[in-house]
Amino acid sequence: MDAVQSLDEAIESASTAVESADDLEQLAAVETSLLGPDSVVGVVRKSMGRLDPQERPKVGAKLNEASVAIGGLLDSRRSVLEVEEESRRLADEKIDVTLESITIPSGVKHLVQKVIDDTVDIFVGLGYQVASGPEAELAFYNFDALNTPPDHPSRWDSDTMYLDFGDPGDEVLLRTQTSPVQARWMESHDPPVYIVVPGRTYRKDTIDATHLPVFHQIEGLAVDSNLQFSDLKGTLLHWAREFFGPQSEVRLRPHFFPFTEPSAELDVSCFSCDGGQPGCRVCGGAGWLELLGCGMVDPFVLETAGYDPYEVSGFAFGMGPERLAMVRYGIDSMKHFIENDVRFLRQFG
Amino acid sequence: MKVPLRWLQEFIDLPTTDVDELTYAFDFLGLTVEGVEEHVAGWSDVFVGKVTDIQPHPDADKIRVCQVDVGNGPSQIICGAWNFGVGAVVPVAVPGAILPGDFQIGQRTIRGVESNGMICSEQELGLGEDHAGILVLGDDIEIGVRLEDVLEVPDVVFELDVTPNRPDALSIMGVARDLAAWFDIEHHVPSLPMTTVPGATSIEVDIEDTHGCRRFTAREIQGVEIGPSPFKVRHRLHKVGVRSISNVVDVTNYVMFELGHPLHAFDADSIVGDRLVVKRADAGEKLVTLDGEERALVAEDLIIYDEDGPTSMSGTMGGERSEVSDTTSRVLMEAASWDPPTIMRMWRRYDLRSEAATRFERGVDPSLADVANQRASAMVVALSGGEVLEGAVDVVTTPMEPLQVSLAMKYVRRILGDGFDESQVSDILTRLGMTVEAGDPLAVTVPTFRPDLTRDADLIEEVARIHGFDKFDATLPTGPAGGLTVEQKRSRELVEALTAAGLDQAINLPFVNPVDLEPLGYGDADLLTVNNPLREEESKLRPTMLAGLLSSLRYNLSHGAADVGFFEIGRVFSTEPNVEDPRLPAQTDRLAWAVVGGTGMRGLSGATHQVDGSTSLALWRHLSRRLDLDDVAIEAAAPAGYHPGRSASLTLRGETIGHVGELAPAAARHYEISGRVAVAEIDLGPILTERAPALASAPSVYPFVDFDLSFLISIDQQAQPLLEVTVAAGGDLVESARVFDEFPGAGDGQKALAIRYRLRAGDRTLTNDEVAPVRQAMIEAADGLGAVLRGV
Repeated sequence: MDAVQSLDEAIESASTAVESADDLEQLAAVETSLLGPDSVVGVVRKSMGRLDPQERPKVGAKLNEASVAIGGLLDSRRSVLEVEEESRRLADEKIDVTLESITIPSGVKHLVQKVIDDTVDIFVGLGYQVASGPEAELAFYNFDALNTPPDHPSRWDSDTMYLDFGDPGDEVLLRTQTSPVQARWMESHDPPVYIVVPGRTYRKDTIDATHLPVFHQIEGLAVDSNLQFSDLKGTLLHWAREFFGPQSEVRLRPHFFPFTEPSAELDVSCFSCDGGQPGCRVCGGAGWLELLGCGMVDPFVLETAGYDPYEVSGFAFGMGPERLAMVRYGIDSMKHFIENDVRFLRQFG
Repeated sequence: MKVPLRWLQEFIDLPTTDVDELTYAFDFLGLTVEGVEEHVAGWSDVFVGKVTDIQPHPDADKIRVCQVDVGNGPSQIICGAWNFGVGAVVPVAVPGAILPGDFQIGQRTIRGVESNGMICSEQELGLGEDHAGILVLGDDIEIGVRLEDVLEVPDVVFELDVTPNRPDALSIMGVARDLAAWFDIEHHVPSLPMTTVPGATSIEVDIEDTHGCRRFTAREIQGVEIGPSPFKVRHRLHKVGVRSISNVVDVTNYVMFELGHPLHAFDADSIVGDRLVVKRADAGEKLVTLDGEERALVAEDLIIYDEDGPTSMSGTMGGERSEVSDTTSRVLMEAASWDPPTIMRMWRRYDLRSEAATRFERGVDPSLADVANQRASAMVVALSGGEVLEGAVDVVTTPMEPLQVSLAMKYVRRILGDGFDESQVSDILTRLGMTVEAGDPLAVTVPTFRPDLTRDADLIEEVARIHGFDKFDATLPTGPAGGLTVEQKRSRELVEALTAAGLDQAINLPFVNPVDLEPLGYGDADLLTVNNPLREEESKLRPTMLAGLLSSLRYNLSHGAADVGFFEIGRVFSTEPNVEDPRLPAQTDRLAWAVVGGTGMRGLSGATHQVDGSTSLALWRHLSRRLDLDDVAIEAAAPAGYHPGRSASLTLRGETIGHVGELAPAAARHYEISGRVAVAEIDLGPILTERAPALASAPSVYPFVDFDLSFLISIDQQAQPLLEVTVAAGGDLVESARVFDEFPGAGDGQKALAIRYRLRAGDRTLTNDEVAPVRQAMIEAADGLGAVLRGV
């Protein structure tokens, strides 16, 4: 049998051999048997040099035809087997998507910090700056500058914690409110003043569901040439709608604070029951949530700061982030805010 | 302050009795409604009857046969109670009546005797718990009227939260006055004229302390007969939460609730001598008050003396020695005005928050003193008989004149808006009892019952209050541009970075017990002390954040958590003076963290990392990258409380600004934490200050060349110097160098450090000829540190 005939037969029979390969490994063996050195194609290729020069072009052409044909068969079979093999591998690689096998570490901001940041951002959006001040504070800034009478019970050591520091004339205490920052700020800044003051405050209260000896306040103060009572209402309405949702309404009720006149308490409509549903978990059916104290800055406070109360006016408000968090997130006790139980904290990630 | 609607209606003809409408009015007058009690009649057809005859039951020992007249002649009723006799006035449920619990009363025959109804006890009427006997109503009540009329039901009692600036509103009259202004109607005080007989009060009054006592009125009433008060008085006092004592004592409370001026009734015969003296006490003197407690007085107490010594505590509580008793026949009725701070301190000192003290500490109107005294004296006569002597004591030490305040309309409009005009403002102030002279400014005369109104700003509040806070618009001012400072933004970034690293934010109380500081290396000295702490063990303010954080770890570990990491931002204190304000103690904001367990972070070899000192360093480097803190240097250090071989100090321009590392095992034991604890505490200020942003450099587009070098160095040597010298020796071509393996067990006190270097040029592809000299230079530089290239 001459070489051309052998190659034709090799081409003829290659198809069956290639198709019989079930995986890439078998296909490699088939490739060796069809195109390797011991295959018909390999033997013919080795013998080419010894061929009669007249035969050579014919055999060469056939050899080429065989290589291309068999190679093509192998390639197309390989493509099929590769797809099959990848499918098998992917099937084997299946993971249980319900299993948390790897955890990316992720912690949470404290809820009180979140409420502070959220509220601060609302006022920053209104053009406020953020101020802070000493926690160990002079009685002057905590009380006198804010129009607290010398005999007021809030000054007594049953209510306020005093520190063993300094001159008797400059009594130092743990501030009971963030309002002293108002006084300090006004002392060193001319109007217009638009500030919010988040910070820690201290009262001599035993820990229970509604009291902590150390808690936070966010104080707000605006003093400008043209601020009116309606501006206080509008500002707090804006805050309430940003904080509790756009459906919120507010109302101001008369109250008393020594550093504001008129003074008011702010009620925000209940965000949960949409107004006075009996037994509402959030408002108890009242429809309104009593949230914070506010008012127009008392002229005494402005004068103490060196401002002229007939030339500038302003408003102030003070809110408790713990109280806001309790209302907003349905928290039953203030103790949670200082216990640092991760089971509590991580609910608010 | 509890206000029964029916009582209030004697002072004002209200346009509504709807509870919601009245609640709204109270709330927006600033008399916040704290609670509403509705008193309703739980019965029907119960009348006031008089017992005209009582006979034993022929066939039963424990019940009696009574004849009771409810206005239409005697009717026979069988009764099992024995606490009344013939003549008693009692509630009678007639046949057809229904008692609480749907209990129908009919005509019955009890052991053969007919009974036409039932004589009722408090419990049967649903009025109280007393079921021992019949509710005996008192002789003053008209026979035949419905019980509802006697008990004033239905009624609504509003409990109002009166703010401390409003002494006047602690009275029915004051509340009526506010409501009258609100509804723009009249109010009045029901007339109770006093008649007198000739004669003068036998007791003189000396005010030695004219600061403490502004006015003292006293009036003598002779021939009183002490007994229980009429039912109406007792029941009204019950509704406002005051216990009925006797007809004379009840009058003092009743008139106080009506007018707001407290009164005190002395038994005039128990006053020793004929003179009362008002002065400060001598320390150590004793006074037994009405509640039977012996009080050791201090020198600041303001006391009423008789010849025998202290006999009454002014404005707070009377003395037992001169109190009205069953045998009193001569009463000295006192209505005096006291200095508010004196009374406030006194009741606090003895924890005697009486109704009187509550009013006096806010400032009772002195001009009311004799009005109240006359009304009370008249009422004593009405209830107890007797005669009021014409000559009364009235000592005024501090005359109180109505205040003149001028109110400029410009100022009103500045605060409340342009919508207010002169007549509107004048009208509101007039409705509140002020006298207003027209003009701009308005000349306003403020009556003495409003001590809180002293300035124009106070009047503006009144205008707003009566106008209605609810009627104001909501407007938004246009403030200037605000925003967070760099420090505030970086503080937010810091919180984001640490939570992203898996730490939870904690908030701890800043009080510490020195016992918990000692393992952290803090002594008692320099701790800032609270003079009046909540508890003695919480009397120190924290000098370190770690005590709180470690306690938080312990808390969570003991509650089942295994991997816990907290950070906290807070303030630490010391007795050093504050740099910015030396009148204050130093108080510095700090960042701290404490982490225990596994972190979920990948270590050098790719395995999950158990927390140790390296965790802290990793956290710091993470933070440092987020906040551009490459100007802060890490140096090995052994601060107190830290593991000496696994901790570092952070320094910025030569100043130590914090420590990072691992908690000393002894401290971990103290806080009952097993396992290594990564801790750090860093001054917040220096890391929050602005860092100039780096200028960009474009990444090279040319290929890189990586090679590894493994060095043997002494186990005591640090990696950083080796990295630094080799990178320096490599020159500009070195793009990065990273230790990818540390093998401490290389023998001979040596450790192996494997470092991967990457070279790349910015302008060309590197050739092998360029790489070889770099590699060689690095090896030689390492040799200078004693690091030997490990056999490859």
